[in-house]
Amino acid sequence: MRDLLEVKNASKSYRVKSGEVKAVDGVDLMARKGEVTVIVGPSGSGKTTLLYLIGSLERPDTGEINVFGENICRPNADLIQYRRKRVGFVFQMFNLISALTALENVVLPMDLEGISPAEQHRRAEELLQRMGIDHRLQKAKANRMSGGEKQRVAIARALANDPDVILADEPTGNLDSATGKVVVDILAGLARRDGKCVLIVTHDEGILQVADWAYQMRDGRLKGMEVRG
Amino acid sequence: MRSVKRGLRSFIRHPLANLVVVLLLFVCLTLSLSMLAVKLAADGQVEEVKSSVGNYAELRVSSAYKMQLFSEQREQDPAKRQAEARKMSEEELLEERTNTLVPEEITDDFSLLPEIISFDKVLEAHVSLQDITGTELETMFSMRERAPGASATSSSGTFAFEGNTNGASASDFMLGNKVLVEGSFYTYQDYLDANPVVLVEKTLAEENGLSVGDTVTATVTGAEGRNSEMELTIKGIYETVEAEEGNAQDPQAFNPAGNKFFAPLSVVQELNGTAGYVELGYFYLDSADSSAAVQEAFQELVVEGLEGGDKYELATDYSDFESISDPLQKVSKTSTIGLAGALGACALIIILAMAIIVGGRTRELGVLKAIGATDRQVLIQYATEILCLCLVAIVLAAGASALISQRMGNWLLQGNAGNAAFVEQAESPGGTGAPPMMGIGAERLYKQGGRFSPGNRNQQSVELDVIYRGSMLVYGILILLGISLLGMTVPVIWIIRLRPARVLAME
Ligand SMILES: Nc1ncnc2c1ncn2[C@@H]1O[C@H](COP(=O)(O)OP(=O)(O)O)[C@@H](O)[C@H]1O
Ligand SMILES: [Mg+2]
Repeated sequence: MRDLLEVKNASKSYRVKSGEVKAVDGVDLMARKGEVTVIVGPSGSGKTTLLYLIGSLERPDTGEINVFGENICRPNADLIQYRRKRVGFVFQMFNLISALTALENVVLPMDLEGISPAEQHRRAEELLQRMGIDHRLQKAKANRMSGGEKQRVAIARALANDPDVILADEPTGNLDSATGKVVVDILAGLARRDGKCVLIVTHDEGILQVADWAYQMRDGRLKGMEVRG
Repeated sequence: MRSVKRGLRSFIRHPLANLVVVLLLFVCLTLSLSMLAVKLAADGQVEEVKSSVGNYAELRVSSAYKMQLFSEQREQDPAKRQAEARKMSEEELLEERTNTLVPEEITDDFSLLPEIISFDKVLEAHVSLQDITGTELETMFSMRERAPGASATSSSGTFAFEGNTNGASASDFMLGNKVLVEGSFYTYQDYLDANPVVLVEKTLAEENGLSVGDTVTATVTGAEGRNSEMELTIKGIYETVEAEEGNAQDPQAFNPAGNKFFAPLSVVQELNGTAGYVELGYFYLDSADSSAAVQEAFQELVVEGLEGGDKYELATDYSDFESISDPLQKVSKTSTIGLAGALGACALIIILAMAIIVGGRTRELGVLKAIGATDRQVLIQYATEILCLCLVAIVLAAGASALISQRMGNWLLQGNAGNAAFVEQAESPGGTGAPPMMGIGAERLYKQGGRFSPGNRNQQSVELDVIYRGSMLVYGILILLGISLLGMTVPVIWIIRLRPARVLAME
């Protein structure tokens, strides 16, 4: 199962005032490299929680998550290396560090990993260029950028250490439809051209257009969906 | 290293927030450092005072006993007394002469206390010298100096002799009121050998045509009128410098000190017919702190330990020390409280500031965790930022407090001094003929050698010199580390408790 991202019977509940919320409830999921997998569902259905489980930011109460042969739920799993090199996050709120420039934001994951400064820069510039962020804009502070620009910088950052998996949480949620489409096309391109395993969760059913595989999520439960022939 | 670099960058990239924090810290740190400087200076000065004031003690016959003797004598009919005196044996005569003196061995024994670092003994006597004329105001001087009970000899040809164990350490020479201009001092060996040598005043030497090596003849008053003679060789000639002060118009015309001779104690004892007795022994203690212990030892060893020991007293200048150091000690106390308050404010500021700063950057913390930063990396980054913040503030504060701490010290001193800070001066009205008070020029009140001399207590306003000491740097670094560490608790708590999933999804 080395070429498969696999979630097996994963559950995650949160304790809240009114009791317990089963955010993710016995979910099974598979995704492959080179393909776009889309999960759609209404707000509060548990999409973000599922994505964070896969991204190792949360630990499932039960179940197992295998990412291309690595079981990240093992007690001694090296989650730091996993977060640095195996997955890249793209968030609805972009989550760039606002005091840093676009370039510095992209450099950051490589810097944490200890890549040489020259290599960091070369690669960050290349990625930003590819995302259509020109040199002048690369030197701009993240908080001075438009939403579309921010999200493209965020995608460049997610790609910095060349991970296998891109996890995108409502990547178009804060963008107008035109910019949103550009971003979705970029993400789809990452699967098709770079062979990444791209997983997008969204309530925007329009994204299903680029999906190779799709799931519907409701109340923490996941159900496979038909996609265009 | 990279985390440090990221911290530095982050510090530079948040200029506005950092400026506010730096300013607040700056104010409190300036206050802290100034208070610290003032406290260190005050403490240091108290220590300094300790080594020069409050460490002096004199063992002598108590003034109460002298008063009692004096009034007893006054009640007696002088004629009857003289008749009695004639009948007295040699021992009885000696006893009367030494009534107000201290046996030398008491002072010698007492000087063995471990707290005592140096000691001397003094005897003053009036001695008749043959064929020597005193300087002009001799008569008046010798009247003034005459001790109660001293036999009324004719004033002409009578001179004041001061004897101690070493000419160079006689208080007048130690204090610089007199300086040797020719010849040399008599030495401790001269004292031990009872060499008949003297130091003579320059004017008197000139008027009598004396120079070093010449001899003068003294009359020794023996028992039952049997007088003998003693040849004294002039070993040195000294000059009196006290005329400089104030009434210097005509130092030649007025020189009451001219009639004073200095000689080895043993010689003066012989001249006075009181071998084995001194007027007083004086002691320097290792510190003012020893004053109480020495006083206690005196009570035990002398007052209670000796028969008739209660006629002696040990006078110390500890109260001088107290009056000088009291305002300094109050300043020290006040500035300690101020320091504590200011440091407390610093602590509060850094914690609140970090709570606001880190609280506003939880998303950043979440991102760092999500992209694989270790807690260590995040902590080093934040530690660097905090350290920069505190460093800038403390460097500025050090500069500012260097400017204000002297003023702060003065202000605190004034507030604490009240009336105690100024030792009153008995200002001698100029030109009235009274001998000028000596040595006002000395910058410190503290005795540098020598005996109590009431005229010596010049006005001395206690001053506080707030000097930056080396220890300030150490304390500064400690304060820097302290508040930085305190500031670090906030990000540490945040990082431990942070759930990235929660903050990253925040809208
Ligand atoms: N950290 C949390 N603590 C408590 N409840 C949570 C937490 N995260 C998510 N939830 C709850 O879990 C459910 C699923 O949330 P989420 O995964 O964010 O859904 P979606 O992303 O589909 O909107 C919601 O009811 C939400 O309130
Ligand atoms: Mg969500």
